[in-house]
Amino acid sequence: MTGHQLLFWVFAAVTCGGAIAVVLTQNVVRMAFWLIVSLGASAGLFFLLNADFVGTAQLLVYVGGTLVLLVFGVMLTASGPFSKMQTRPGELFLAGIVAFLLLGLLGSSVCSVNWNAVVAATNHGQPLLARQELNHGYNKPEEGNTGHPLGMAFLGMRPDRDLAPGTKTLSTGYLLPFEIASVHLLVVLIGAAYLARAKRRVQPNE
Amino acid sequence: MNHSPVKFFPVSVKAVLKKYRFDPQNRGLSVDLSSYLLVGAVLFVAGVVCMATKRNGIGVLMGVELVLNGANINFVAFANYTKLGLDGQVISLFVIVLAAAEAAVALAIALSFYNNHLTIDVDQANQLQG
Amino acid sequence: MDPQTVQIGLTLKWLLTIAWLLPLLGFVVELIGGGWVWGRYSKNAAYLSVICIVTGFVCSFAALMTWGGHTQWSALKDHGAAHGDAHGTAPAHADPAGAHGEAKPAAAAHAHDDHAKPDAHAAKDGAAKKDDHAKKDDHGKKDDHAKKEEPAKHDDHAHPATVAAADHGHAAGEHGHGGAHHSAPKVVFTGLFYRLAQFGSLDISLSYYIDSLTLVMFTMVTFIASCIHIFAIGYMSEELTDNYADHQVHTSHGHLHRPGRFHRFFSFLSLFCFSMLGLVLAGNIFQVFIFWELVGVCSYFLIGFYTERKSASNAANKAFIMNRVGDFGFLIGLMIVWTWFGNFQFGDLPANGQTQPGLFSMVRGNDGQMKLHVPESGKAEVVFKNQDNHIQTTANGEQRTIPYWLLVAAGLGVFGGCIGKSAQFPLQTWLPDAMEGPTPVSALVHSATMVAAGVYLVGRFYPMFTPEVLLVIAYIGAITLFLAATIAVVATDIKKVLAYSTISQLGYMMLGLGLGGWAAGLFHLITHAFFKSLMFLASGSVIYGCHHVQEMPQMGGLRRKMPITAYTMLVGVIAIAGLAIPYVTLPGGDPIAFSGYHSKDAIVATALTYMKLNGHYLLFFLPLAGAGITAFYMFRLWFYTFAGEPRDKEVYDHAHESPWVMVGPLVVLSFFAAFCAFGGEGGILFKLLLDSEPSNVAGGYVAQTEYLGQGLLNLKLPGHAAIHANHAQAGTLALIVAFAGAACAYVVYGARWVNAGEIKAQFSGLHRFLVNKWGFDEFYDMLFVRPTHVVAGWCSAIDRVVFDGFLHATARAAVKVSDWDRKFDETIVDGAVNTVGIWTFAIGRSLSVVQTGRMRNYVMFIAVGLLSIFALLIMFFPN
Repeated sequence: MTGHQLLFWVFAAVTCGGAIAVVLTQNVVRMAFWLIVSLGASAGLFFLLNADFVGTAQLLVYVGGTLVLLVFGVMLTASGPFSKMQTRPGELFLAGIVAFLLLGLLGSSVCSVNWNAVVAATNHGQPLLARQELNHGYNKPEEGNTGHPLGMAFLGMRPDRDLAPGTKTLSTGYLLPFEIASVHLLVVLIGAAYLARAKRRVQPNE
Repeated sequence: MNHSPVKFFPVSVKAVLKKYRFDPQNRGLSVDLSSYLLVGAVLFVAGVVCMATKRNGIGVLMGVELVLNGANINFVAFANYTKLGLDGQVISLFVIVLAAAEAAVALAIALSFYNNHLTIDVDQANQLQG
Repeated sequence: MDPQTVQIGLTLKWLLTIAWLLPLLGFVVELIGGGWVWGRYSKNAAYLSVICIVTGFVCSFAALMTWGGHTQWSALKDHGAAHGDAHGTAPAHADPAGAHGEAKPAAAAHAHDDHAKPDAHAAKDGAAKKDDHAKKDDHGKKDDHAKKEEPAKHDDHAHPATVAAADHGHAAGEHGHGGAHHSAPKVVFTGLFYRLAQFGSLDISLSYYIDSLTLVMFTMVTFIASCIHIFAIGYMSEELTDNYADHQVHTSHGHLHRPGRFHRFFSFLSLFCFSMLGLVLAGNIFQVFIFWELVGVCSYFLIGFYTERKSASNAANKAFIMNRVGDFGFLIGLMIVWTWFGNFQFGDLPANGQTQPGLFSMVRGNDGQMKLHVPESGKAEVVFKNQDNHIQTTANGEQRTIPYWLLVAAGLGVFGGCIGKSAQFPLQTWLPDAMEGPTPVSALVHSATMVAAGVYLVGRFYPMFTPEVLLVIAYIGAITLFLAATIAVVATDIKKVLAYSTISQLGYMMLGLGLGGWAAGLFHLITHAFFKSLMFLASGSVIYGCHHVQEMPQMGGLRRKMPITAYTMLVGVIAIAGLAIPYVTLPGGDPIAFSGYHSKDAIVATALTYMKLNGHYLLFFLPLAGAGITAFYMFRLWFYTFAGEPRDKEVYDHAHESPWVMVGPLVVLSFFAAFCAFGGEGGILFKLLLDSEPSNVAGGYVAQTEYLGQGLLNLKLPGHAAIHANHAQAGTLALIVAFAGAACAYVVYGARWVNAGEIKAQFSGLHRFLVNKWGFDEFYDMLFVRPTHVVAGWCSAIDRVVFDGFLHATARAAVKVSDWDRKFDETIVDGAVNTVGIWTFAIGRSLSVVQTGRMRNYVMFIAVGLLSIFALLIMFFPN
């Protein structure tokens, strides 16, 4: 068993266990905790998949930002410190059956595909993408794995493709979606601030 | 003779077990694209079940995050193992950003709902009942 | 056309129009004001009617005077001349175009050129007795001269022309009517009031035709109507109540009691006067027809005035239906005239800048003769002329003609209308029944004026009649006069006697007209109107005085109770009987006699002359016998009513003289009944009528050359001169017969030397025959009424059984079918729609359960749905 395999299984187990724990836990704060665990472990999976920038973003945005936001929400909305809203057992049972069937469906779908053949078909008979191929047009691998290519892609340039041997075309980047996402974030912030602004509260005894 | 490299059906649990049975030649459980896809599937199902069972609005939001994260794992896995390459990572980055934005808005909605109903129980929000 | 004549024409037109329209105004005001404004006790309606009609009379009389002044009373100036010349001195200027026409060549000039052998100067020498006349003419007004001559002639031409024609008249009389006779055309004013419609050459218009006949009729009608209106104020005063008891109508509660209808009576009377005057004034045959029907309607209303009485309403229906039968013929005549002449106008009218010849000009030109054309086919045709005697041609140069037999048919058709209106032979039965109306109505409508309208129309339409038509008219008249006279002998109802007398006298008029005595017939029309209205009013006075007893056998000796009524009636009786004092004459040579003698004398003289010329003995002996019978039954009536001892004591004791408002008109009318024909055929009335005589009449028949002289039956119509030659003989015969009749009446009813009952018993069969009115009512009943009833019975049976049965069956079937249809509709059609609706609603309601509104459920649904889709895919697409 290689280190890669070992790390994968560890991270995979933590990720799946955290997610299942989120489902099974009734306490909101503990759910949030298990979610942090699950998301953090999935960031490890990203690292394993050579996506160091995505994994970093996962840790920063999700674990550092989103979940803090969720905890704020929990604190602001909880009517009691241990507030529980019980789900009915029938529903739980039904949801379990559905979950089992859905998981069976997805899992069997994944396993019934010969992925090597798929990759070979879509890649003109080439084997799976080598790690080096991502670095076309860049100086050194040590200066950053995916940070540079992603940055260039968001700026509208794809040196990793255009500078490949035998390539004479210009590929498109993601400048416009990037700008749209920026504006989107701005709008969302304003909208969220508007929705969550302080209003006259309904009297508790009504 | 199986002409098509892509074979979805029929599916069975047996195929899954066969794939992940202990193989001494690989010195343990082999790790490839389908392993990551299975992790994404588990996250997805867990998110859906979370949405379907949690009465707490925040819990529902957490389910949504789980579903999005499952999708992210798939994207990054495909980016690593296929010609998708950098594009998959770009998409996953967008998903992360939009999930953050969604979380912000959803929390604002939950807060507003709480302000109006003095509870976060989503079952109370049934005004759309036919 | 000189301005003065135009002015005269306008004056006459407006005077007569006022006289015509005033009663209409009265009618309208009474219709509106009668019942509601004035109330049932007011006599205002009567006063208004009287004012209208008296004003009308004044206007008419003024018109007559204007006309006389215009013509210098030329008719009178010839009084001293022989009767034969009368026609030759037609007044003034030939002016068929009337007020709007243009001057024409004097026809007298033609006469003088063509036929009168002596030239103008010779005639002047020969006619010494005309000196005073000539002098007058010479001193006459300048314009009078201008009118009488055509511009080319020298100044004194007018007089010689007149004399020449007169001389010719003598010659014609002496030489047995040789050659076509031409005389001066008469004075006529024609014109248009209002054009209603125009169809090609035919225009339907309100126009007028004024000649002396119109004026005389206007004056007569308005005068008599005035008297009768005044009389009716008294007679109808019983109606001035809210509770009039009608003793002749029996209900389950005794007599009928109803509100009085005083104003209604007078409004109808006014409407009648308007219609009658319109009929007389009418300038075209269609307008005559319109007013003809209007007087018919008025007659219907007035006969049925006591509408609750079954007999009155039946009589009104009978009169109306009988008149319709006659009017059918009238309509046929109108159609023929329309089709062939394309013109309804009597006289010439200006149209489109030129003069459109009227019917009279088209048929007779201005020389008074029909021009015959016999094509190779042999059927005679009558050629249309223009007013200046030229022959009308069509666009391609052919003569315009009408087949002779069609002209005869048109004449017979129009005369058919006259038969109905004037109660002549086949249609006479309605008039006696019409006596159910109030007595003033009988006096005005059913003796003096309306029934005379038929005679008037025959006189007016005279130029259109061929000798054959005139023969039919004469025979109808003769049969009628004899038949009605015989029935009058046995009638006992005082008004019925007068009614049959009226029919008989109308027969005389028709006879006179048919025999060629145009003026004689209309002369009798005027005189008869006076004395018959007098007698009817007198009978009304008797009925009023005897409290509505009408049967003569209950009367007798009434002259002691009501002397004025009795002796005024006696004047009428003598007048109608035609008595005169023999051998004693007035200084002018006229016999001393009342009006009836003169007019009847003229008719009998015409009849005698006609018989001498043509045979047809009945046409003389029937009127002669009729004269005797007339005298008999009229004196019978008078003796029965006024002379001798009272037969019914109770009636006699309660009898009383009528009030002055009723007796006054009697006195006035008796004066005119006696003296209106003063002077006989030399008198003013006769001369006035002669002025309007159609120009072909005076000379009698002409030789059958290119002209239609004697018709296809070779009938020789007598001229004035020939009639005059027989006048004395006829007058003597008629007088003898009349005296004989009067004497018989005195013997039987006056002195009562012979018992009337014995005579009745001796001739019981004849008596029964006469009482049954010659069986006409039974005959018509058998011929028309009962077959009609039988056929109607069949029709109603067929209607009830077949048609009603069919309809009922159809209706039931329709109801049944619609019942099924309703069930089908309710169960299947509605049911289907309702079921679909119910299902849809139920499904929607049950499906709405899925719409929980809960987010978590929706998530679950999505998951389950996804699974289901995959399950289905696996199931159906295993690979």
